[in-house]
Amino acid sequence: MSRLLLTLKAVPAIGVDCSPLTPARLAGMSSAAIAAIELQSGNRRLPAGELFDIAGEPGDTLVIRNACSKLDRIGACMNGGTLDVEGDVGAFLGAGLVSGTIRVSGGAGAFAATGMLAGTLHVCGSVGDFLGAAIAGDKQGMLGGRVIVDGDAGDRVGDHLRRGIILVGGNAGDYCASRMLAGTIAVRGKVGALPGYAMKRGTLLLAGAAELPATFNDCGSHELMFLRLFARHLASVDSAAASFAPRGERVRRFVGDRANGGLGEILVTA
Amino acid sequence: MLTRLKGGRIYDPVNGANGAVRDIYVRDGRIVAAPGDGARPDRDYDVSGKVVMAGAIDMHTHIGGGKVNIARALLPEDHRADLLARTELTRACCGHAAPSTLATGYRYAEMGYTACFEPALLPTNARQAHMEMGDVPIVDKGGYALLGNDDLLLSLMREGADQKLINDYVAWTLDVTQCIGIKVVNPGGINAFKFNARKLDLDETSPHYGITPRAILLTLAQALEDLGVPHPLHVHGCNLGVPGNVDTTLETISGIEGLPMHLTHIQFHSYGTEGDRKFSSGAARIAEAINRNPNISADVGQILFGQTVTASGDNMSQHRNRKFASPDKWVVMDIECDAGCGVVPFRYRDQNFVNALQWAIGLEIFLSVDDPWRIFLTTDHPNGAPFTTYPHLIRLLMDKTFRNEQLARLNPDAAAASTLGSITREYTLNEMAIMTRAGPAKILGLADRGHLGIGAGADITVYTDREDREAMFRTPDYVFKDGELVAKEGQIVKVTLGATHVVKPAYDRGIEDRLRPYFARYRSTRLENFAIDEEELCECGSSRLAVHQCRHARVA
Repeated sequence: MSRLLLTLKAVPAIGVDCSPLTPARLAGMSSAAIAAIELQSGNRRLPAGELFDIAGEPGDTLVIRNACSKLDRIGACMNGGTLDVEGDVGAFLGAGLVSGTIRVSGGAGAFAATGMLAGTLHVCGSVGDFLGAAIAGDKQGMLGGRVIVDGDAGDRVGDHLRRGIILVGGNAGDYCASRMLAGTIAVRGKVGALPGYAMKRGTLLLAGAAELPATFNDCGSHELMFLRLFARHLASVDSAAASFAPRGERVRRFVGDRANGGLGEILVTA
Repeated sequence: MLTRLKGGRIYDPVNGANGAVRDIYVRDGRIVAAPGDGARPDRDYDVSGKVVMAGAIDMHTHIGGGKVNIARALLPEDHRADLLARTELTRACCGHAAPSTLATGYRYAEMGYTACFEPALLPTNARQAHMEMGDVPIVDKGGYALLGNDDLLLSLMREGADQKLINDYVAWTLDVTQCIGIKVVNPGGINAFKFNARKLDLDETSPHYGITPRAILLTLAQALEDLGVPHPLHVHGCNLGVPGNVDTTLETISGIEGLPMHLTHIQFHSYGTEGDRKFSSGAARIAEAINRNPNISADVGQILFGQTVTASGDNMSQHRNRKFASPDKWVVMDIECDAGCGVVPFRYRDQNFVNALQWAIGLEIFLSVDDPWRIFLTTDHPNGAPFTTYPHLIRLLMDKTFRNEQLARLNPDAAAASTLGSITREYTLNEMAIMTRAGPAKILGLADRGHLGIGAGADITVYTDREDREAMFRTPDYVFKDGELVAKEGQIVKVTLGATHVVKPAYDRGIEDRLRPYFARYRSTRLENFAIDEEELCECGSSRLAVHQCRHARVA
């Protein structure tokens, strides 16, 4: 299978919009044509060849090496293929992802997976705030697909989340699952203040005791069939973040946020 | 510098030119008489065979002030989806339904518009509105100050204040807010909303002041008549959007007792309750009333299909419409007890019965009002559609075949409920020049705009006569603003500053002694800080203050 390798030559001074660099877009292009693709950077447009060394054959897989946090919008609106990133990335990683797989060996900035429709996003490091959340003005955050973060996530994980699964292996910040509409978020570590704030529906899975808002009602301890199905569904995921739902475990179920009539659930394992 | 436009077909209804071939000469921003044989023009444009009109005037378009900014803030996705990159000349800007100030100016100028009037300028927001409009490049601007829901006027009326005192208050408001007319939105209704009323009919007394909308309309219309302000009272009537409001509108017309009155976005006030769905067209009755009453003028507020945002001072009707918000977010608020504000994003759908019939009702009104001097082309931007849809609307009015093709695509029940298909009228170029140039200039009292006579400001638009009127009116060949070429073939070639049009009726400044304690006690600014002067206007982007004559100075 052919692979295209883009190696960042030097850390750019300001952010670069890398959204044109997706496997489907580059497939069949010559190295010269790829080098000529213009990338927006602040108020200038830079040819890709100025930023990256280009090697290999474009095809189903694109590898970006030596990446850094100045590379924004990597894999945004990507439709098909595999994007493998070695290093850290900037904001809006996988925003509006339509299909395909993105894997980042380092960490990512804010608004990763916002507006994502389907596909898989795997970040081995930690991510910034607003993972899978809605950008300003939008009524819905992530719309589908699967996001796995091995490290920590910032504040507002899954704000306005509409559909899909977000797994966080480490800790999550404040307002986790705020204004969530549907979908599933699981956090293996600790969460910050006010998880489920203004939550409408959906499921937030927490490992171990957490301080919940007073507007969540304790609905008792349950053994839920859902968790077994969920565990089976995640069996193929190669990450500690997915080893969440042990078979036959009981969870305490809290429903809210009743402050706004919400019927979301927070499930806390014992 | 002398400029000549050579050999164009002139459509200038004020001066009786209906396609006559004539050269136009421009010097120092004004149209001048043909100089003698010896004079050679410094710039010569061969426009032979092309259609030459004055610059178009939009007499009702929401381009500045509090609610427009709220609409912008509410719809970042509207801005993200429509980005204009900067060029050598123009700055980066954005926005479709609620465009930024810059996009507003560029796009109006590119379409051949040279003046725009913001119809709902809250006195308490006047400074902000003028600053925003100052930021709109190229086109001239003007505003209508909003009265009729302010505590001060309603209190004066409750006390039974003398009409002369009210006249002074109205004239003072025009003076200090730098406006060219007075608008009233849902007279008394915005105020009544704050006392928990959810509707207020023409003859219903308001809950707190005990005054009827009819009395407010009469008082303000009388004030403008007494002051000799050219623009009649600009009225957004009661019951906007409510099926059956055609009766209210007809009563409003008869209730004004012969005084001049302009009914704005009348399409939204022309609904009947016939048919299975209790929603029908009242266009025929409205058009008949306009034809019969020469004191009445109207702009249509045509709706066109697609995404837009409705922004209105009418918090009562916007509160009613909030459940139709698409996308689902809205704002309804009070503004310093001066008036209100409601912003509801909306998508008009051609397969929706109500929307499709609204579309037909607007066109029925356009085509059934006989006198083009008293009906104006608007979409109530952005409430019916963004102003960038004007060329499409012009084609609908000028091309019967195209209109019927569009009609055939709509919700079939709505198409069947409308008489539009049987109307054969097509607007002529001359009528279009009246409706978009000469008429608005006349009704606003802009003596030197809207025509191409000697001495007129050289706001000129040159079109190639195309069968596809939409293409023709979308991309004029040349647009001149005050004699300077600002747009060529739909591209901005020069960015200038526009003037601010105002009127200054005479009044007794003693009114300030009465207003000062009121401002000190109730308002957020002192009287001294409330007034905006010419220097301040020019500092925030206006090229000059263009003061227009009132019909007469009031007898002391």
